[in-house]
Amino acid sequence: FMSMLGGLTGSKPVGKDRLIPVLEAVKEHLITKNVAAEIAENLCASVGEQVEGRTLSTFTTVRSVVQQSLRDSLSQILMPRRNINVLREIITKRKTVAKPYVITFCGVNGVGKSTSLAKVCFWLLENDFRVLIAACDTFRSGAIEQLLTHTKCLQSLYPGKEGSQRVTLYSNKTNKDASSVATEGILIGIRDGYDVIMVDTAGRMQDNQPLMQALGKLIHRNTPDLVLFVGEALVGNEGVDQLQKFNQSLIDYSFAYGDSVKSSLIDGILLTKFDTIDDKVGAAISMTYATGHPIIFVGTGQMYTDLKSFSPESVMNALLK
Amino acid sequence: MVLVELGRKITTALRSLGSATVINDEILQVVIQEICKALLEADVNVRLVKRLRDNVRLALERDDAGGVNKRRTIQTAVFRELCSLLDPGVPAWEPRKNKHNVIMFVGLQGSGKTTTCTKLARYYQRKGWKCALVCADTFRAGAYDQLQQNAMKAHIPFYGRYTEMDPVVIASEGVDTFKKEGFEIIIVDTSGRHKQEESLFEEMLQVANATNPDNIIYVMDATIGQACEAQAKAFKGKVDVASVIVTKLDGHAKGGGALSAVAATHSPITFIGTGEHQDDLEQFKTRAFVSKLLGMGDIEGLMDK
Ligand SMILES: Nc1nc2c(ncn2[C@@H]2O[C@H](COP(=O)(O)OP(=O)(O)OP(=O)(O)O)[C@@H](O)[C@H]2O)c(=O)[nH]1
Ligand SMILES: Nc1nc2c(ncn2[C@@H]2O[C@H](COP(=O)(O)OP(=O)(O)OP(=O)(O)O)[C@@H](O)[C@H]2O)c(=O)[nH]1
Ligand SMILES: [Mg+2]
Ligand SMILES: [Mg+2]
Repeated sequence: FMSMLGGLTGSKPVGKDRLIPVLEAVKEHLITKNVAAEIAENLCASVGEQVEGRTLSTFTTVRSVVQQSLRDSLSQILMPRRNINVLREIITKRKTVAKPYVITFCGVNGVGKSTSLAKVCFWLLENDFRVLIAACDTFRSGAIEQLLTHTKCLQSLYPGKEGSQRVTLYSNKTNKDASSVATEGILIGIRDGYDVIMVDTAGRMQDNQPLMQALGKLIHRNTPDLVLFVGEALVGNEGVDQLQKFNQSLIDYSFAYGDSVKSSLIDGILLTKFDTIDDKVGAAISMTYATGHPIIFVGTGQMYTDLKSFSPESVMNALLK
Repeated sequence: MVLVELGRKITTALRSLGSATVINDEILQVVIQEICKALLEADVNVRLVKRLRDNVRLALERDDAGGVNKRRTIQTAVFRELCSLLDPGVPAWEPRKNKHNVIMFVGLQGSGKTTTCTKLARYYQRKGWKCALVCADTFRAGAYDQLQQNAMKAHIPFYGRYTEMDPVVIASEGVDTFKKEGFEIIIVDTSGRHKQEESLFEEMLQVANATNPDNIIYVMDATIGQACEAQAKAFKGKVDVASVIVTKLDGHAKGGGALSAVAATHSPITFIGTGEHQDDLEQFKTRAFVSKLLGMGDIEGLMDK
């Protein structure tokens, strides 16, 4: 009995033998919650390092110590290293250089870029800004019509004064070069005194070199103030690769053109379709762990109001449940 | 291509058995672990991986013969388990000549339904079938224009209405119209939906009831992770899914979620999408694929011994 109790309350330092089964269970749990396998493994390894050899106080179990250490690691991963206050940045830009703030949305196919753009636009309109949407997906059928529908809808929700809409769409069906459509849009945005310009881009696979280069060009030539990577919470092990390759192609492109590196990196993540995953919130961990980019917005549905700011606590609670 | 990376990792793990001089429990456990790791990294459902692991271990325990035989046992067991994952054991649906074949597309938001509708219509059209497309997505902004532009590009007749908001009405009107006009393959595109929104699932059921499809295709994105199984199961639970198409396999995706969807829907993968263009669709023969992945290569050689 004494030895059993010893095992339970840990009068001796935690050894590998007791740690490994607990860590294995934790790893599996994390993978079930859709954390990428490799990242679940790394996380558990670092938790193991922290716990191994520690002498536990009476009535503390290995499991509870591991839990606590995991919680700490997760919260460190999820806490943004850089705080981005979009509204404040817009106002600052207007005050300092009197120019519109440019936001670009990019990501792989079908993750929700255009819909999220419309949601963010709704939020900006709610905050009294004037927005120009630049339709720079020059590839997919119906892409311009999709944004036009959203624009009309938003116009009826936020009607402008005589002859000046609070939100308009810029598109150019005859120009297939996304980068130059963006440039045209931005020029008009500056001319007409908009506060924000939102640039929608076509979805592309992270391994598609020509398309990734085209994105690099768009960002390099138009130097947006905020580059959002849109990913979906549904994504599995692939999410990390997507984000890393998008970031890398932007770096490669600006390197080739001698930009200062900051001018063309991904600034943050918009994670969509949170409403479709129940408690399998692991993609949020995988993406932030692998790149350190903050999650700025979360998409929770198909309505304009289904845009939330990211809550590390609720993700952590769902993960540890 | 699809699942090659997984196939390679598994074969490598199994091959390490072939080169080991002594096969003891430790080596066997390592091999099983390697295989499970490969499956998890490819987004195969955790529960399915566990089942596979347990079954392989069970097979090993049952087989109390020594060394060489254990090697054989584990190879056979892995082969069998993977086959049963990928092959639902039901034949793929085939359209019938001189009949109206109605195909309905369903799936999560953004999985690639609309794009794949036209790809499939083109595929059959090239084979001489008379095909048509119906847009029953009244929700997504620009859905009508998207399918209409695709259909026009592919020279495929299209039915849709800008002003009608009820997808059930449009779907049945469209299908009826094309039936009257003697079309053989009528493909109905629907909005993206998810199990958490019951009203959307109800709408899907109503569209299915109104059009009485011969084949309901569940379209899934190859990059999906662990949420795959619950969604695929829910779709199958609501309507009679008969086939799966896996899209976006031109990327880096490991496509293991597809295995999980096959298990959840008991429906075979019939096509895979390999790009954004209209011809980027390949036929997928489950049995041929399984034997190619696991049979023709090293494993068959090993198993024959
Ligand atoms: N349930 C849910 N659906 C979403 C969410 N965000 C977007 N969607 C849906 O996902 C689908 C694809 O959205 P889009 O905005 O067209 O995606 P995209 O990334 O612009 O797609 P491409 O431009 O084709 O690459 C649409 O049906 C959206 O309604 C979300 O947060 N939750
Ligand atoms: N790279 C690649 N992209 C694909 C493939 N299939 C579809 N897509 C892209 O994925 C995005 C979404 O495709 P859609 O056909 O609009 O998806 P959907 O399921 O109809 O979307 P909703 O109607 O909003 O639910 C588009 O950008 C397509 O071009 C594929 O096999 N490979
Ligand atoms: Mg889009
Ligand atoms: Mg669609």
